[in-house]
Formats: sequence, C-alpha cells, structure tokens
Amino acid sequence: MSKVVKAKYTADAVDGFTPRTAMEEAARCLLCIDAPCSKGCPAGTDPGKFIRSIRFRNVKGAAETIRENNVLGGSCARVCPYDRLCEEYCSRCGIDKPIQIGKLQRFAVEQEKAHKMKILTAPEKKKADKVACIGSGPASLACAAKLAQAGYQVTIFEAAAKAGGVLTYGITPARLPQHVVDFDIKSVKDLGVKFVFDTKVGEDITVDELKKAGFKAIFVGAGLWDAKIPEIPGKDLKGVTNAIDFLKAARDSKGTFDPGKKVVVIGGGDVAMDCATTAKLLGAENVMVYYRRTLEEAPANMAELQYVTSLGITITTNFAPAELVGDKKVEFAVFNGRDGVSGAKVAVDTVVFAIGQAPEDMTKIAPVKVTEKGTIAANAKGKTNVAGIFAAGDAVNGGKTVVEAVAAGKEAAAEIIGYLAKKEGVK
Amino acid sequence: MAVKKDLSINYLGVNCENPFFLSSSPVGGNYDMVRKAYEAGWGGVFFKTVGIFVADECSPRFDQTNKEGLPWLGFKNMEQISDKPTEKNFEFMYKLKRDYPDKIMVATIMGSCDEEWKQLAKMCDQAGADLIEGNFSCPQMTSHAMGSDVGSTPELVKQYSKAVSSTTKIPFIAKMTPNVTNMILPARAAIEGGAAGVSAINTVKSITNIDFENMTGMPVVNGKSSISGYSGAAVKPIALRFVAQMLQDEVLKNVPISGIGGIETWRDALEFLVLGCRNVQVTTAIMQYGYRIVEDMISGVSHFMDERGYNKLDDFIGSALGNLIPAEELNRDFKIYPNFDHKTCIGCGRCYVSCYDAAHQAIDWDEKKRRPNLNDECVGCHLCLNVCPVQGCITPGEIKWKEGRKPVEIAMKHNYE
Ligand SMILES: Cc1cc2nc3c(=O)[nH]c(=O)nc-3n(C[C@H](O)[C@H](O)[C@H](O)COP(=O)(O)OP(=O)(O)OC[C@H]3O[C@@H](n4cnc5c(N)ncnc54)[C@H](O)[C@@H]3O)c2cc1C
Ligand SMILES: Cc1cc2nc3c(=O)[nH]c(=O)nc-3n(C[C@H](O)[C@H](O)[C@H](O)COP(=O)(O)O)c2cc1C
Ligand code: SF4
Ligand code: SF4
Ligand code: SF4
Repeated sequence: MSKVVKAKYTADAVDGFTPRTAMEEAARCLLCIDAPCSKGCPAGTDPGKFIRSIRFRNVKGAAETIRENNVLGGSCARVCPYDRLCEEYCSRCGIDKPIQIGKLQRFAVEQEKAHKMKILTAPEKKKADKVACIGSGPASLACAAKLAQAGYQVTIFEAAAKAGGVLTYGITPARLPQHVVDFDIKSVKDLGVKFVFDTKVGEDITVDELKKAGFKAIFVGAGLWDAKIPEIPGKDLKGVTNAIDFLKAARDSKGTFDPGKKVVVIGGGDVAMDCATTAKLLGAENVMVYYRRTLEEAPANMAELQYVTSLGITITTNFAPAELVGDKKVEFAVFNGRDGVSGAKVAVDTVVFAIGQAPEDMTKIAPVKVTEKGTIAANAKGKTNVAGIFAAGDAVNGGKTVVEAVAAGKEAAAEIIGYLAKKEGVK
Repeated sequence: MAVKKDLSINYLGVNCENPFFLSSSPVGGNYDMVRKAYEAGWGGVFFKTVGIFVADECSPRFDQTNKEGLPWLGFKNMEQISDKPTEKNFEFMYKLKRDYPDKIMVATIMGSCDEEWKQLAKMCDQAGADLIEGNFSCPQMTSHAMGSDVGSTPELVKQYSKAVSSTTKIPFIAKMTPNVTNMILPARAAIEGGAAGVSAINTVKSITNIDFENMTGMPVVNGKSSISGYSGAAVKPIALRFVAQMLQDEVLKNVPISGIGGIETWRDALEFLVLGCRNVQVTTAIMQYGYRIVEDMISGVSHFMDERGYNKLDDFIGSALGNLIPAEELNRDFKIYPNFDHKTCIGCGRCYVSCYDAAHQAIDWDEKKRRPNLNDECVGCHLCLNVCPVQGCITPGEIKWKEGRKPVEIAMKHNYE
C-alpha cells in the first residue's frame, strides 16, 4: 500500500526550517569558491553568499543578499525548479545530495518578515522621468523595483484586480501561499511604485495616452494569457475548460471552488501539474493527467511530478485527446494512443486543457514586432523594435520560469536606465 | 541597502576602521595574503610572528577534533614562528603599510634575550608598524628561551616588555599564554614593564587525538608527535574567561585588551567586545573558511547595532562585564522549572534519559503517549532543555521560590536557539 499525501488547497505543502534546522542544513554547505550554485541562479540571487551568511549566523545579512538580488526571493524560494537550477549545480551532489537551497532561501525571507526588515530603499529625490510597466507579473515587478531603486517614478498598469500575474492567479497556493507573494510585492510597493489595477493597456488605456501622460519609457511584461484548446469535437461542451480559467476560478474562490468529482487534466508541464493538484486539493475524487508524450519529454520538473503522484494523482503518458463526448455537459473523454493502436475512454466531470498558453495580441498594446508564435521580438536586454518600448518575461520567451522572468526584468531595467540617461544627455 | 554601521574604534591610540584583525599566524604571513585580507574587509593584521630565530617546520603539522560529524571543533598546530627571513618579513610589513596606510599593521615579534627583543623593536620602527605585539605564548617553540615558557614566567614578561618599550615609542601589546592558572600575574608584569596593552589567548597545550596506527599523537611526524597548541571554537570559552578575569582586575581594568580564540562569527566577536575587548583577532576560522568570513562579521555586528540603536562600538563595549559575578554572589533562592510543549515534542525521550541518568529522575515518561511529564523532583538544572532536539519545545517555565526565601523580580533568558 502506498502512502498518499492528504493536503489542503490553502495549506503550505511543506514546513519551513527553524533557526536550528536551517543551521544544520547550512552546515552541510561546503562554502565553495566561486560558488557553482550561484552560477546556477538565472536572477543572480547568490545562494553561495546567503547560505554562508546563515552559516555564520548572520541571517539578516542573508535576507539582504536575497532581497537585493531578487525582489521576488520569497516566491522564487517556493516555486523555482531548483533541481535544474542552483541545486543541480551544487558541489555537494558529489558527496550525497544538494543543499536545500530553496528551503534555506525561504527561511531567510521568513526571518526578514519576522524581523520586520525593510531592505530595499529608493532615493528621496526622484528623477524627473516616469516609466510605465504593463502587467504586474514577475518580469514587471523586477523591472519596476530596479527602476524605483534608481530613483525613477514607476507606475504598474495591471489588467487584473490584484498584482502578481501567474503568482497570484496561476500557481496553487499550497505551493505558493498568497501571503508569500504579497510580502514580495510589498517590497516593491514600499519603493513607491504605484499600481493601477483593472486597467488593460490597449483597451482601457493606450500606449499613446501613456506617452502623453509623461511616461518616457514603457515596459511590457504581459505574460501569456491566451489559452490554447485543440480543435477537437466536443471542445465547447460544459465542463471543458482551460488551465488559466480553471486556476483563476480556484484562486479567486479561496478554496470553495468545486472542480467536479472526476477530473482529467491534459498536458505535461508545470501548469498541468498545478491544475491536477488544485483539483485534488479542492476535493476531486479522481484526478487523472493525460500527456501525449513520455514522462521524459514532459516539461514539468521532477519534484512537481513526484508531488502530484504523492497526492494519488495518476499520470498516463502517450495518449492524446481525440474527442469529448456528452449531452450538454462533458461525460467522456476519448484518447488515442501514440502507437496508433491503443485507445482510452474515460468518464469525466471536468476536462482541463493545460497544453500551453500564448500571448494575447501584443500589437494591441504597442506597435511592436512579434514572432510567428505571437511573442514580442525583443533582444536579451529587453529592447524591442520601437524606441522607448521594452519587453521581457513570458511574453518574450514564450513561457519559462518565474526566476527567468525576474532576471529578464532586471536586465530590461538596466537597459531602460541607460536609454533614459542617454535621452537626458541628448537634451 | 545593506545595513552598514560605523565600526571604527580607537585601539591604543590608533584609529581602526573596524576591530576585526588577523591574529599572528600563517593567515597573515606575506604581502599577498594580507593584501587579500584587507580587501576582504579586515581592519588590520597582527603579522605572523617574526624573530631572529627562523623556524624550521615539521610536516604534517595540523590536526583537528570533531564530534558527531562536525569537523574543526578544535584545531591543533605544531607550527612555530615565521619560517621566512627576518628582513623579508619586515619588508612585507613596510610595503603593506605604505600601500594600505589606513589598515593597521601590528608587528608580532619574539626574541630570546633582551638584545633580540630590542633589535626587533628597532626593525618595527623602521618598517612603520602601528603597534607591536610581543609573542610570549607560542607553546611549541624548540627553545625554552622563547614562547609560552617565557609567558608563564612573569619576571621574563616584564623584562622583555621593558626591553621593547624602552627601545621604541610604538605601543606594545603582550600576548598571553592560556597555559597558566592565573593570567593576571603575567599580564600585570607586562604592564609594569611598560606594555600598553594585552592580547589573549594564544593556543592551549594539547594532544588532540591518538593515532593507533603509529601509537602516537596526531599529527604523526615520522611515527612521533608532540604536545602543541589547540585553537578554534573549542577554546573560545577559555579565552572569554581569561579576558573577563583580566578586565575585572583592579590593575588591568583599563588596559585595552585584544580578544583571541575561537572567533568565527559576528556573535563570537561581539562576545569579546561586550566583555570589554577593543579589538579581536582570528586565525583558525580563517584557516578553515578563508578571509571572506569578515563580511558577515561586519554585516552581523552592524545589524546588531541597528537593532539596539547603537551608533558606535563604544556604546556597548564592556556591557556584559559587570554581570559576571562570583559564584557566591548569585541569587540561589529560586529554581526555574522547565516547561514541556507536548505539541512540538516529537517523543524522542532524550530529556527523560538525561534527566534520569544524569540529573534528578524528575521526568516521568508516558510510554503510551511518548511524552515527558515533570514530577516534584525537578531542581531546575535545565539539562533537559539542553538535550532536547526540537527548538522551542522545552523552555524556561514557572519560577519556584525555595522555602522561606523572598521572591524578587528576576531577569531570565527566554530565547534559546
Ligand atoms: C499554472 C502555472 C504554474 C507555473 N509554475 C511555475 C513554477 O512552479 N515555477 C516557475 O518558475 N514558473 C512557473 N510558471 C511560469 C511562471 O509563472 C512564468 O514564467 C512567470 O510568471 C512569467 O512572468 P511574467 O511577468 O512574464 O508574466 P505573468 O506572470 O503572466 O504576468 C503578466 C501580467 O500582465 C498582465 N497583463 C497582461 N496583459 C496586460 C495588458 N494588456 N495590460 C495590463 N496588464 C496586462 C496579466 O494580467 C498578468 O498579471 C508557471 C506558470 C503557470 C501558468
Ligand atoms: C597554525 C597556527 C600558527 C600560529 N602561529 C602563531 C604565531 O606565529 N604567533 C602567535 O602569536 N600566535 C600564533 N598562533 C596563535 C593564534 O594567533 C591565535 O592566538 C590562536 O590560534 C587562537 O585564535 P583562533 O582560535 O582564532 O585560532 C598560531 C595559530 C595557528 C593555528
Ligand atoms: S554549490 Fe552547494 S555546497 Fe557549494 S556553496 Fe553552493 S550550496 Fe554550498
Ligand atoms: S594545503 Fe597547500 S601547502 Fe598544504 S599540503 Fe595542501 S597543497 Fe600543500
Ligand atoms: S527531548 Fe524534547 S522532543 Fe524529546 S521527548 Fe523530551 S521534550 Fe520531547
């Protein structure tokens, strides 16, 4: 008999460290020269340094290192795919297993909160230039924080009612509790960054209007909010939904959303896994994930796959959806095997498609060049073809990770600072 | 922005950017090493001891003690003073002072007679050292005219302190050996001889481990070993004790003391400062981890000051000294019972085992629930609190006044890490 984890939608999936257990873990760290873990972090959070601070009993210093390098350090500590980032690079892997870097990062950020530290500061005297950031996801938040720290006046325009992007409307709260996201966002707010909610740029306000209102540079961090659903029979039946709508409804309900008894999630990425855990934690009796390729090809990280299976969710590979059957409401999902022979028919209440998202029409926001996938064509520093318009995060890279969005947002901020300084010089 | 406080301090008339110095040892043995240490943030260096005698070292020469997998509890070395030519060492010191005028250069010297001490003192003058430290304390010298044999003879300490301070105007610091029962005597002797300050401690004579392969101590040098100096975390308690005793001595209480022994973190350094030290020195932790550890010392002490609202080190230096009192003056009228939190308790029973086998059988073990319950035998020793593996599970609880004693307001510790 296997032991299946029983968890709650809004409860923390794992307990954090106490000062004592954090020290025990930090004592395992080898304090490497030119720390490989630090090289493995896209956003430059510098675990080698903050673990050393914990080891030498300077937890406040550790919190400073994290917050200064990665304004979303608390969220990243919860959701980064460490197994292929910092922890994969950890030298300790050569002895036994890597240092639990993410968990130590979480500990330091929790101590930051417990000690009511205020780490980031913006200069008293603001620069004259105003910058607008579109979207309040990781990319925009990271960009806005850097700009505010440099003295620029930043306003974030967000289509939704709350800040955070996928952090607030996507990832399950069991993995990423809202208070963790809110604490990260608070450090951006405390820098004087203004937030304007329920305002979709391109619809409620245009970029031209923003320019007229005095915004000298514009950053687009709009993410991927167009859900893909394949053109198969029955896709419009009641009970068929997509990951974005499903997760958002769950998140908005604060745990009262009814996902149905039998839920099939289609997809093999982190998003699919989050949909599956969300369904399970909200009370679905039978949750099944169907993926059209092999586990090895699945983009979801191992830790997430393991978490999903630990909840008693099954993952079936090499089956693709062919048809959804039902009278008004979906009743069965029909799958075809990759081998061309196998097939499956599964009774369902709910079908969630989590097969990837695409950007909405980015040219509605600004006249930027887009790729054939619809993502914004920008270079590694966030420069687009339009002077004064910058972009980064999922809307540019087609959907990667929180920490990569943070890294790209930071890069773009540096580029914007250079651009504004140059403009200032020209005058 | 990272919190960074003003950590500057006047030590023996010299302005130091911070009190964190390398202690005299191989960690500060040549130009490049000290340059790297300065750049990492150390305020100054006690340069590796220079003598007229040039050491001829053995190999290997280090060993360490550990417990339950934790290495480097203590560290043993069989090194003597510098193995580089005397002139070369003074040249390093001269160049370092020239290139880093704001960092503090302390020349640590050791002679074997008045003449050598004087000769070395003159060389310190020429090299431009800010301060001079006299090493009266190395426990593994190959001559009895040098090292801890001298340091445990107050007359010699006084004589050589006089030799140096009558030769140069540079303030002289006498470095004490802990291999004595009473450090006050040699320390007073040094001051009488003209020393301006005292530093303590040097290493403790030790045998760390016995090697059964060769039936000798560690490290093994051609099948043999020697008693020699022990340092690192394990000696900090000994160092703190000597420092406190000197600072509480009527004669020595105003003598600037540099604290040494087992300092790794900002807390260790702070412990010496709150006892009254105006300077601290480090070797073993640097041997284990490198110069970079100073970053967290600077940051950690800055945060401590920020938390408590201190603006300079002098705001709190010595603040713990007065609270160390003779055992006969402690209030013995009460006991503090331990409080057991059955919710966080994991049921290991370690508290029960220790209390039964080593204290007062004051814990009843609930075998079914696997939980401890305190009975009337408890004396409030807190052995259980010290063995419990769960943070915050056993905490100081109810205060019980002994029969007929008068309850008063008492100060107690609440937070254990
Ligand atoms: C369900 C799910 C689970 C994930 N799990 C992980 C994980 O475990 N680990 C990980 O590292 N990554 C994970 N990711 C990926 C990660 O969340 C993203 O890479 C990251 O959030 C991208 O940040 P972003 O700022 O580019 O975009 P987003 O987070 O998408 O933020 C974009 C914001 O822009 C707003 N917006 C869009 N258009 C406009 C407009 N026109 N005007 C105003 N506002 C607009 C949106 O409302 C949104 O708030 C997951 C993604 C999903 C969907
Ligand atoms: C390898 C080694 C060499 C040392 N050499 C000297 C020396 O030359 N002169 C000296 O005064 N002290 C010497 N010491 C003692 C240290 O300066 C210091 O007083 C002692 O090690 C305690 O501090 P620590 O615990 O920080 O190492 C040496 C210590 C070590 C470990
Ligand atoms: S790579 Fe691993 S062992 Fe090395 S410093 Fe980083 S966390 Fe520590
Ligand atoms: S530490 Fe350096 S000098 Fe010492 S034995 Fe190893 S390689 Fe040689
Ligand atoms: S030592 Fe602590 S955890 Fe173990 S039984 Fe006693 S109280 Fe419980």
